[in-house]
Amino acid sequence: MYRLFLASLLFAVTSVSALSAAQLSDSAPGYGKLGYPLPEIGSYALPSLGRAADGEILDSSGVRRSLHEIFSDRYVLLAFIYSTCSDVNGCPLSSHVFYKVKSAMKRDAELADRLKMVSLSFDPENDTPEVMRLYSNNFRYAGKAGEWQFITTASQQQLRPILQSYNQVVQQEVDDKGNPVVGYSHVLRVFLIDPEKRIRNIYSVDFLHHELIINDLKTLLKQQAAQGRMIQAAARIDEPGQLSKPGDYKQGYEAESYTTRSLDLESRRGEAADLLGIANNPPLGLPPIPVPADNPLTREKIELGRRLFFDRRLSLNDTFSCAMCHVPEQGFTSNELAMAVGIEGRSVRRNSPSVYNSAYAALLFHDGREESLEQQVWGPLLARNEMANPSVGYVLQKIRGIADYDGSFEAAFDGRGVSMETLGMAIASYQRTLVSADSAFDRWYYGGDKQALSAAAQRGFDLFAGKAGCASCHRLGDDHALFTDNDLHNTGIGYRESMGIVPEKQPILVAPGVVLEVDRAVIEQVGEPPPTDVGRYEVTQNPNDRWKYKTPGLRNVALTAPYMHNGSLGTLREVVDFYDRGGVSNELLDPLIRPLGLSDAEKADLVAFLQSLTGGNVDTLVADAFAAPVGDVGEGDPSWVHGTEVEVR
Amino acid sequence: MSPGRRFLGLLLAAVLPLAVSWADSEELGGNFRLTDHNGRPFELDQLKGRLVLLFFGYTYCPDICPTELANLSAVLNALDDQAERVQGLFVTLDPGRDTPEVLQDYVRHFNRRLVGLTGSEEEVAQVARQYRVSYQRHERENGDYSIDHSVNLYLIDAQGALSAVVPYGLPPQHLLETVQGHLAGMADTDALSSTGR
Repeated sequence: MYRLFLASLLFAVTSVSALSAAQLSDSAPGYGKLGYPLPEIGSYALPSLGRAADGEILDSSGVRRSLHEIFSDRYVLLAFIYSTCSDVNGCPLSSHVFYKVKSAMKRDAELADRLKMVSLSFDPENDTPEVMRLYSNNFRYAGKAGEWQFITTASQQQLRPILQSYNQVVQQEVDDKGNPVVGYSHVLRVFLIDPEKRIRNIYSVDFLHHELIINDLKTLLKQQAAQGRMIQAAARIDEPGQLSKPGDYKQGYEAESYTTRSLDLESRRGEAADLLGIANNPPLGLPPIPVPADNPLTREKIELGRRLFFDRRLSLNDTFSCAMCHVPEQGFTSNELAMAVGIEGRSVRRNSPSVYNSAYAALLFHDGREESLEQQVWGPLLARNEMANPSVGYVLQKIRGIADYDGSFEAAFDGRGVSMETLGMAIASYQRTLVSADSAFDRWYYGGDKQALSAAAQRGFDLFAGKAGCASCHRLGDDHALFTDNDLHNTGIGYRESMGIVPEKQPILVAPGVVLEVDRAVIEQVGEPPPTDVGRYEVTQNPNDRWKYKTPGLRNVALTAPYMHNGSLGTLREVVDFYDRGGVSNELLDPLIRPLGLSDAEKADLVAFLQSLTGGNVDTLVADAFAAPVGDVGEGDPSWVHGTEVEVR
Repeated sequence: MSPGRRFLGLLLAAVLPLAVSWADSEELGGNFRLTDHNGRPFELDQLKGRLVLLFFGYTYCPDICPTELANLSAVLNALDDQAERVQGLFVTLDPGRDTPEVLQDYVRHFNRRLVGLTGSEEEVAQVARQYRVSYQRHERENGDYSIDHSVNLYLIDAQGALSAVVPYGLPPQHLLETVQGHLAGMADTDALSSTGR
């Protein structure tokens, strides 16, 4: 992004000062025909250049609104202008090009539907909402297609952070003696922003041309339509995590423009992996896995554990397997639920933790109440609102009655049958093999490959280990990193949840772009009252441990949204924002949590770093999971009732 | 505002045109008095009932003003019989050099339907102020000077109210459509008021 910025500086320091005769003969390419052939639509990639910042603006009616609200989940062309501008290759150029784009939108319904143009004034003193209204008035007779909005800000105070985050340097022009003269000097740049508020291209004066813009937009639309399909996979072949998507990927569901991106069942083809080999030789960046002396890893145990993990019969009503909260293609957690939902839709009060790299976890569950995977298994099996089995004996007896497991336990455990111990040992053995690393970061940091990590992620790492202080808890070692201190901390998330004042009305999303404000009283009539959650205190009974939760490892963090113990933060950016604010203040707030003063660019870099932690082998592990048999109730199973004397009403 | 303070404001505006931001209370647009290119007094209000296209510039202007005036002229010519309902105005920001005679020569060169307007420095400054036009003399080494100025075109409706601002850079076709749209709108209003009577 910086390189681009410099390039545009070199190309286009369009100072808005004295008009000279040279300027017309020297007018920008945007006024004429494109001097070069355009690449084929969809044949190139437009990677995100960072986040398009938000800010407070005034629309042409003088109503205070957020910039993102103006963007309204469409593709957006954003130009900074001022109405007293006089440089031909400055603001008038952006007007000219926007006009050309508008004309194209009139002819092309898809463009008209998906794109919006926004001109934002950087001269709030002169450009009042009334002036902006007069500007937009001039399109009153130009047809509805091709929305072009003129907006301004209430004052320099609102404007400054917006200019800063878009790298728009605006200076009052001065003459030789330093006296102010008419106009501002600014580098003309027009931003193409996608519905997820990411900047996808920045046009300087030499590249601002309507045909190029439309080509870029068509390319983005084409690629968006292909998302989840192979075309996109080909464009980002190096990126791991291609299989790590929910079957029906719901990101952006709240926007009216949402269209389904269901994955073809075909792309869920499984391929068994050598899990034992992976576990015995963990990928770059991980230490050897700790294995209990009484439960050495064997192929038989791993295979048995894998069958049990995907077996729905392990729940009271034969519907719910482990994999339904720890969904393989959703980072072995659940991307679509803030807090888990158990059998019969019963609410669970915390977010499903990822199973990736649980082999290394010294503490299990968010409050760290369990110490080994072998024992942890019984938590969800017996929880009333998870798999809801009434007792240990019930589970064991049921498995003993399922023909699929005849002899399996005995073969894996040297003659020992189904027991509380062997069941835990089998499932733990499978979980232990889900080790994932060799990410772009590992190849750069531990592998010495200088090309492996993007510049943004490298800057993000410097912040992570330095200024932002993340690594104090999410620790790294000299030859490996688990990104956790295996300890528990109070960040204030739990405190806020416990103490938070609940709003009278809650927005409920009922369809893409359709939100209903529902009264709290109505929700309470039908909803379960939110359960209390005091974190570690529930385990230790030590009042100082209130609202402490475990530090999760950060490997594959890009695949494991939503975040925090209650899934209250949806994106990595929100997590970074949360820590930048210094968490939520409370008397037990961990002293390591403090406001960080990160700039927008620094936050984007941190997110880029977190995204670089996706393991190189996740597709292997997910494809292996797809290959696992799914245990479903059938004739002869202990709870099979069809065709028996039991009358089902 | 008292006349004295108004004068002070104008003085400041003339000395430090940019250090002063337009007072919020000052209304945008409105009537003004100048001298036309025949040396006769001119008042915007005398054009009520017609659509006015107002542009600011100066005759020594090397590029933007001729381009804009040529566009304006093309639009007037394309209007055919409707042209009677439209008046193009060119207000000089350089009254020192642009006398009525100079202006007459200049605007006639583009289109005989255009009217050039000038006045004293103060009168011109007042109009510019009303329409939020920024301008400033830019001295050259040879003693010559140019004038930097903003380059919008203002559409004033039949009641004399500022109705739209057209930024420089849009093609003449857009201006033509906008003018025709406004004229059609005016026709509707006329029809309504006549049936109302």
